[in-house]
Order: sequence, then C-alpha cells, then structure tokens
Amino acid sequence: MSRKIVEIAGKRLSLSNLEKDLYPSYGFTKAHVLEYYRRISKFILNHLRDRALTFKRYPDGVKKDFFFEKRCPSHRPVWVKTAEVWGDEGERKKVCLVNDLETLMWVENLASLELHLPLARAGSPETPDSMVFDLDPGDQADILDCARIALILHDLLSELRLASYVKTSGKKGLHVFVPLNRGETTFEETKQFSKAVAEIMQENYPDLVTTKMAREYRKARVFINWSQNDASKTMICVYSLRAQEKPTVSFPLSWKELKKLAAQKDLETFQVMHFEAVRRAEKEGDLFHEVLKKKQRLPHL
Amino acid sequence: MKRKPRTPIRVPSGSSPGKEEEAASHGIWSGTISFSLVAIPVELVKAVEPGRVSFRMLHTKDYSPLQRKMFCPEEEKIVPPDEIVRGYEIGPDKYIVVTDEELESVTPERSRTIEVVEFIDMKEVDPLYYDHPYYLVPLKGGEKAYQLLVEAMHRTGKAGLAKFVLGEREYFVAVKSTDGVLTLITLHYREEILSDKEISPNEVETGADEKSHMKKRIKGMMADFDPEKYADKRRKKIMDILKKKAKEKAPVEAPEVGEEEGGGPADLMTALKESMRKVKKKR
Repeated sequence: MSRKIVEIAGKRLSLSNLEKDLYPSYGFTKAHVLEYYRRISKFILNHLRDRALTFKRYPDGVKKDFFFEKRCPSHRPVWVKTAEVWGDEGERKKVCLVNDLETLMWVENLASLELHLPLARAGSPETPDSMVFDLDPGDQADILDCARIALILHDLLSELRLASYVKTSGKKGLHVFVPLNRGETTFEETKQFSKAVAEIMQENYPDLVTTKMAREYRKARVFINWSQNDASKTMICVYSLRAQEKPTVSFPLSWKELKKLAAQKDLETFQVMHFEAVRRAEKEGDLFHEVLKKKQRLPHL
Repeated sequence: MKRKPRTPIRVPSGSSPGKEEEAASHGIWSGTISFSLVAIPVELVKAVEPGRVSFRMLHTKDYSPLQRKMFCPEEEKIVPPDEIVRGYEIGPDKYIVVTDEELESVTPERSRTIEVVEFIDMKEVDPLYYDHPYYLVPLKGGEKAYQLLVEAMHRTGKAGLAKFVLGEREYFVAVKSTDGVLTLITLHYREEILSDKEISPNEVETGADEKSHMKKRIKGMMADFDPEKYADKRRKKIMDILKKKAKEKAPVEAPEVGEEEGGGPADLMTALKESMRKVKKKR
C-alpha cells in the first residue's frame, strides 16, 4: 500500500493507494483524481464553501459499490471544519464543510469522486441560495432534448426577468440554476415557483416535458425535477467529477454554447472531460460565478 | 417526498443512483490494535443487527412519511437548529446551558489505536459489564499477526483490556477471540453498574438438603448452549404478516411531489402564461 505524506497550508495529510485505478476502463487513478481536484480547486472551492458535503464514495472504483456518507466521518483530521445540522428524524448530525484545499484533498483521498451539496448553506439550511431545475431525460430521450427544454426554460425565465445559468450534470442531464442569494427566500417559495414553471412547461410542451417522476411518464420526455428544491435534497456540485465510465465533469456552459451544441446534435460534445474542464475553467474563468453572487427575487409570489 | 431508507443501504453500482441514500459505512472505525511491540491494522465492524422490525410513521391521509421536528410549545412553532442549545436539567424549569464548545473541549482526542493494557481472564468479567459487540477485521498487511493473536488468545483463554476512543467517547473494551476472529466488546464502566443492594435477599438459613436438591434440579436440565433453538417469535410473526400483506395488496404509496396539478398563486400563474405566450411567439 503506497502512502504519501503531503503538507498543505501547514496541515499534514497522508494520501494512500495513489495508484488505485478508480476509472478502470479509462485508466484514471486516485492520483489523477487528486490532481484533477487540486487543479480545479480554485474554481470548485467557492461552490463547496460552507455547505454540508454529502460524500459519494467509490473505494474500489466506479465499477464497484459506492456509498453515500452524509455525516462527517469521525476519523477526520482535527482541522476539518464541521457544522451541525438537523437530520430528517430530528437528530443532530455533524457534517463536513469543504472550505480549503487540504480538506478537499482529504475528501478525495477517501475516493469521494462525486461531491453532492444542498442548495442552502449549513448555517441557514432553510434558505436556498438558488432555485434549480434538474432536467433529466427519460428512456428514449437524451441530453439534446434536455438542451432544447433548457433553452425554452431560459427564455421563459428571462421573460420573468430572472437570470439563469446552466451546467451539464456530467451524465445525461442538465441543471438550470436561478441564483437568489437573498437569505430570505425559502424552500417553500422556490418549490412553489419551480413547480409552477415546470407545470407551465409541461402544459405547453406535453410531448417533450413531464413533471412526473414515474418512469412511464418520462418515456421520450424530459423530466423537469423541481422537487430538488428541498432542504433535504442535494445536487452534484459544479466542477465535481462524475462516476461514469470516463471521468466526466458537471461543467457550466454559456447559453450561447448550449445553443450551438443543441444545433450540432452530437451527444458526445456535451460531455466535458476532466482535462477539458481544467483547461476551459482556466481560460474562461468560472461561468458559475454569478450563481453565488447574483441577488434575485422571485416575482409574483 | 421520496422515501428514505432508515438504515444505511449500500447501493450496488449499475442501479440508478438515488440522490439521498443515508450515510452507509462498512467499517465503523479503522486503525491498529497494539500491545507491547505488536501493531495490527484492523477495521471495526458491526457484530449484531438488532432484530427489531422498524416502521416509518406515515400520515394516514396520504401516507406521506412524517418527520420529527423540534417544536416549541410556548411559541407553538418549529424551532430552527441555530436557536437550539443543550440544557442540563437541575430542577423543575431550571437548566444549566452547555455549549457545543464546552462539550467539544471534554471530548477525547480521536485516536487510531486500540491499546491493550492488560490481559485478563474473560470468565472474570460478568456479563453485566457487556455493552455492545463488534468484530475486528484484519486490514492489508495485518492478516498474519491477526491470526497469531486470535490463536494465542484462544489457547490461553485470555482477553485484552483496552481503552478506545470511538465517536465522542472513550470506551473501556475487551478484545477476545471468538470462533477464529477477534471480537471487541465495549464494557460498561464500574459506575454505570447499578447496585444490587436492594435486590439481594437478606441472609437466611438454608439446609444442606435444600442445597443439594436445588443443585440436582439444575443438573437435570443441563444442556449445551445452542442459540439456534431460540428465535424472536414476534419478529417472525410480524415478518409473516408483512409478507402476506405484500402478496395480497399493493403497498400504499406516498405521494410523489409533483402529483398534484396546478396551484401556485394566481398572480404567478398569470405571469407565467403571459411569458410563455411571448416565448412561443418569439421562437
């Protein structure tokens, strides 16, 4: 078992199993994963900050079992920042906050390939910073269909004077974020608003859109999952790797680019790989920057 | 609401990943067990799964799973976490407030070792002291030393006593060999054991006859310990009921969010319809 002691910001961290192939059909080891997150840390840390991390760990790689971990493991180093939140059954839970590079490296050393986050910060769990539309293609639908729906959704939100931002899920779907950042909008409001939007989309595009989770309704349609707007739900963090065959990334796109991709009709071009993610983020900056900054109020509520 | 498993569930890869499975853990803790110059890397795992059948509480109206929330009877509202502190009750309506920092300050430092300080005869430990059993599983590189320790403990019938920090507490534990593996049993501290003073009968005279009679009766019922003979009948009956019901009738379903149509403030609906009309016109 290979071990490597590293020191980041004066904190010692023991990295283990660096040669373990976590994406075996692609050949991407734990060392590669750590390197990806180190290079993307400049961008991802802003989005991880002060949110309760849900680990999705793949100790034996993407082809083997994974497990979710919502509590901050008790074997964490003393310098890992934590917060206490209430669980669904009224119990208090200690969760990890990934606020710095050393914590991110520790998290990745645990093979938590995917980083999932709630829409609210740990300190204010009832007030989301964003409203989200999780566009998920059903059987016989694909990311191209999602792109078409996302573009309509973007137009609709613009009519309501709401700026929105889109990222790939890193799998088959797209996520549309509407920043709020007001500290007073509640999940009840984002739920009500997003549900009304999803339903008007379904009403106008019944052959393309469903708001129902059940499989039979989703066939050949895009499921607009508005119910992610809930304190107990988590979304994949922007710039997080996905545990797919290849190390794809949940990556932000400009609306212009999405339009272009939708016209090209090539499914593959939607997937942003790890190396591309680093290169593009370094060149273009954080396209999701405004999601953390822009203050917007949901109108007509 | 999507249902959430109450207990940790491992999801095999390949199935569609849910978004909110609870924390699962194969190992509860990992580190080394050590004494004198021996250090064996091990992982602590559960040894028992209590057979209690657990139920979710549902709303009779629509079978939505219910949640527990902290409720303030004074204000008649649900209290958010940042408005909650711990209080130690010292009398009616009298509390001493204890902060998280204060509790944190007395929490023992996390440790990576189970340090065996002495070896004892397990027979000397009355089961009254037994708290909770775990298995210790050897990790890579520790297999050989682990096996040696299991065998030596088995041969000598000795168990190691150790102090061990798990979660927020320091435990007093016994490590023994059971059927070729190491088990770790957390033990109660002396002060946790309640006095038997009130219970033990006053000394009374007993005759030799009576004594031998009692002995004989016990002898007549001697058997080898065979836990297979005993089973939790109530659990089995409950499971039977559940199986039967599952066959007879489809399970009730909690409403999926998104089931009920329409709704939303009239103002928003009007604005959405108007905006949608414009969007369609432009396209």
